[in-house]
Amino acid sequence: MKISFYPGCSLEGMANDYARSIVSVFSDMEIDLVEIKDWSCCGATAAHSLSEYLSVVFPARNLSLAEEMGLDIVSPCANCFKRLKYSQHMIKKGLYDIPWKVQGDNTVYEITRFLSQPEMLARVQKRVLRPLKGLRVVSYYGCQMVRPPKITGFFDYENPQSLDKLAAAAGAEVIDWSYKTTCCGAGIGMGRKDIQRHLTGRILEKAKQSGAEAVVVSCPLCQTNLDTAQSEKDERPLPVFYITELIRLAFTEHAGSGWFRSHFADPSMLLDEKGIL
Amino acid sequence: MNAERHIIGERGNHFLNRVEGDTGANISACYQCERCTNACPVSIFMDIKPHQVIRYVQMGRRDELLKSSTIWVCLSCETCTTYCPNEVGVAEVINHLRNLAAKSSVEPAERPLAVFHRTFLEELQRFGRVNEFWMINSFNLKPGILKEKWKSGVLKEEMLLGIRLFKKGRLHLLPSKSKGIKRIRKIMKQNEGILDR
Repeated sequence: MKISFYPGCSLEGMANDYARSIVSVFSDMEIDLVEIKDWSCCGATAAHSLSEYLSVVFPARNLSLAEEMGLDIVSPCANCFKRLKYSQHMIKKGLYDIPWKVQGDNTVYEITRFLSQPEMLARVQKRVLRPLKGLRVVSYYGCQMVRPPKITGFFDYENPQSLDKLAAAAGAEVIDWSYKTTCCGAGIGMGRKDIQRHLTGRILEKAKQSGAEAVVVSCPLCQTNLDTAQSEKDERPLPVFYITELIRLAFTEHAGSGWFRSHFADPSMLLDEKGIL
Repeated sequence: MNAERHIIGERGNHFLNRVEGDTGANISACYQCERCTNACPVSIFMDIKPHQVIRYVQMGRRDELLKSSTIWVCLSCETCTTYCPNEVGVAEVINHLRNLAAKSSVEPAERPLAVFHRTFLEELQRFGRVNEFWMINSFNLKPGILKEKWKSGVLKEEMLLGIRLFKKGRLHLLPSKSKGIKRIRKIMKQNEGILDR
């Protein structure tokens, strides 16, 4: 099986640990992940905030490159995913001239949706060497990946399940909670720290209240936001894992020494307690 | 309660028709149930609440909308659009108003946010990809930004965060490039006005 990969800017910077865990998990699952050669930025929030045309045309370049390769796309970033899907939606409407050859026909998968398809989920379960027994987590989807359902295709937008299924497949205990899709405010921190703090603080607090020991995410912006908001002095830090980090952990006997070094909320104590480091 | 009565101006429904045409949003269908405002995670930070935005468009109150903080505070999390019983694209309307404000001569109510979006696109056309470290530096160098951050104490906090991020290996100092920049710059040039202000 072969699929193209659109990492997006965050995975080259803040979320380079996410990128490493994805490459490792996909290779263990024997899926050929081919990075789109010479990809460019999707424009993210800035492009659609300032110009609808730019928000259609920037992702279109990457769609065009993937079409040239003849492959579907996996996107690990919730924001990139939505921008790619939105661009396809608008290309189909035919409202804009796009300078690249693009049909908008190939399938764009959000990474957890791709990995939680029945066949892929079975592959994950088969590869698990060491289930993450006793690790209590909540899954956090954020906003960009699920809404609006017409664009994203997440019709279970009130209570999405893809992350839950994957975390459970890795052996973790997944707790239900009400803040799965409440926005974390990652995009607004540059101009309004107060709003960002308000949103992030509530999500972390509610996660702790639910009895979770860690949060599982699949969005590089959510991870950076929720993780770096935690101070070094926190008595009970709440580690924020990428789902592929957990899967990678379940796929091996021993975690590599540097796997979690990028985390602000250090998970080593928690994992040690559970005997899964 | 409100002594001043607002009536639809002499241009009639012109603004409503225009926004409905440009966004495809079903603005006339809004019956002010306020579900959007109740669902919005940041409505408490807005001066014109989401359901009022829709009403304002119906009434042609364009200037107040373009001057509002709402259009910049909105996170585009799409909760309002998703839960609207009449499928009014609330988030799409707010985003469209943000587009209009960006191209107009109106001074944005949340200047740092407007400047941040512009900086992001400048970085995009510089490298074809956006490097977080370079972007934040460029943003800080914009007029007034550093001063504002200094005053609110955010600057110190951000510098400490930056050091921690660097130690954790999360900041990449060398930007990577995409060959797409040539074409991207051309597109930006054809859309002049977006980065001018």
